[in-house]
Amino acid sequence: MRNREGRSGQLKVGLKYCGGCRAGYDRVGLVACLKERLAGEIEWVAADSEDAEALLIVCGCKTACAEPGIVDCPVHRISAPEEGEQWIAKMRRRIPQARSGL
Amino acid sequence: MGKLMNAREYEESLRKLKLNVYMFGKKVENVVDDPIIRPSMNAVAATYEFAHKPEYEDLMTATSHITGKKINRFTHIHQSTEDLVKKSKMGRLLGSKTACCFQRCVGMDALNALSIVTHAVDQKHGTGYNKRFLTYLEYVQENDLVCDGAMTDPKGDRSQPPHRQPDPDMFLHVVEERRDGIVVRGSKAHQTGAVNSHEIIVMPTISMREEDKDYAVAFALPSDTEGITYIMGRQSCDTRKLEGMTLDRGNLFYGGHEALVVFENVFVPWDRVFMYREFDFTTQLVESFSAYHRQSYACKVGVGDVLIGASQTIAEYNGAEKASHVKDKIVEMNHLNETLFCGCLACASEGHREESGTYMVDVLLANVHKQNVTRLPYEIARIAQDIAGGLMVTCPSEADLNSSAVGKWVQKYYRTKSDVPTEHRIRILRLIENITLGTAAVGYLTESMHGAGSPQAQRIMISRLVNMKQKQKIAKQLCGIEKGDQVS
Repeated sequence: MRNREGRSGQLKVGLKYCGGCRAGYDRVGLVACLKERLAGEIEWVAADSEDAEALLIVCGCKTACAEPGIVDCPVHRISAPEEGEQWIAKMRRRIPQARSGL
Repeated sequence: MGKLMNAREYEESLRKLKLNVYMFGKKVENVVDDPIIRPSMNAVAATYEFAHKPEYEDLMTATSHITGKKINRFTHIHQSTEDLVKKSKMGRLLGSKTACCFQRCVGMDALNALSIVTHAVDQKHGTGYNKRFLTYLEYVQENDLVCDGAMTDPKGDRSQPPHRQPDPDMFLHVVEERRDGIVVRGSKAHQTGAVNSHEIIVMPTISMREEDKDYAVAFALPSDTEGITYIMGRQSCDTRKLEGMTLDRGNLFYGGHEALVVFENVFVPWDRVFMYREFDFTTQLVESFSAYHRQSYACKVGVGDVLIGASQTIAEYNGAEKASHVKDKIVEMNHLNETLFCGCLACASEGHREESGTYMVDVLLANVHKQNVTRLPYEIARIAQDIAGGLMVTCPSEADLNSSAVGKWVQKYYRTKSDVPTEHRIRILRLIENITLGTAAVGYLTESMHGAGSPQAQRIMISRLVNMKQKQKIAKQLCGIEKGDQVS
């Protein structure tokens, strides 16, 4: 039985990284920043979690070679630090919908 | 998931082995903690630790085609060109994290080659090697083992085939056939990571004819099997690791090693034998393994990343980073390094499926890549030494730096910018020294030259594989010697 309702209406987001063979920035550091900025708004789950409402793939370069695997939720990719801010804005637009069950 | 070991579990697994190892003329009683060997163990341990890190697992792990379980990619049989590309990227990743040979690719390449060749032998001779091999492979995957892929025989007199050598042991061979297995004798030279391995996979080293069929043997054994002895190769600057200080090592954490592995009448049970006198498949096995292993030199791109980073750093420490010729040299280093990356990606992207289901790299491109590897790291290293300056090889030791008598002068006279501690300058110089002429130069330079076959071996393969007739045909058509389908 799937449970996509996160804690207190938080959006459940799966997290996956590319392998980082020539990462152009600190991917782990960026994710730490995202987690801090979105604390209380997003519940992070495993990349292959059936409960994920979105999957974020953090890639080290524009090749963005990591594949999402079999998922039935929207897949987002970040391949540069500046894309983090755009992704936060996008998620914040989605969070009210998730909370209202839309 | 199978048993995906972490670094600590790997180290503990090595402690259970009873290896017969010699170094500097003495038996090594504690291999894992030996200060000379330990950095190489750390490098292999990184292949385990990184498999557990989310930010690397996409490259470091794969799904077993036998069990469907998540496994370390080093035990994986490539199931697609994507797998081959990820193998190349994994090599660069690990090289860039360790700045040395992490030793585990050779076993992966042996496993993949055997997956193809055991199937091919079975098709022709009706043997059962592939089923036997897959059982072994599952054991390796389930236990997440390190395999040493042992191909290189000492070869003795190069003008003579194995059966005509004055000493028959110059190529490893079968000396006895028993009801329950075979007994072998000989040795394998230059065995990278041998004493960090759980298993040793032996393969013939050259193409053989019928007269050499006793030498046409492939098998796998636990690395601590009775009768196997390891004699460690020494490396330039190796005893710096015994000095009790770390700065002069350059790389404080990682390294590589090679050993001569002697098989003195070693018993191999039949369930571990994957080729026995099928001399007609030695060429395929050698060429398959070689092609995979030539691709594996993706690792040097990662080591190059570190060397380039070190070169830029010393340029900045010296206050020379804005000089146009220094900037241009850094560009050249990057150009050469990324050229190497192109080759290992290309041979993977252009890979194909073999009858066994295993994906094989494009053999021509793998040989071209390795041919580049025999050259470009030397040029990258030359430029690194150019940028570093002579101090890289004339710098006093860490003991002098810390000396109450002369340390103040080392600090004073080797200072550059006011915000750069002299010790930092010496540290980065020692790292460049380590990679270009110290212990790590074994891996970055000479291994690049001779590992997976010396340069001429690649040139022979390039000569054989390139489609010269087609090139001539087009040339003749375009200049009117022959008729073609050009638009008039």
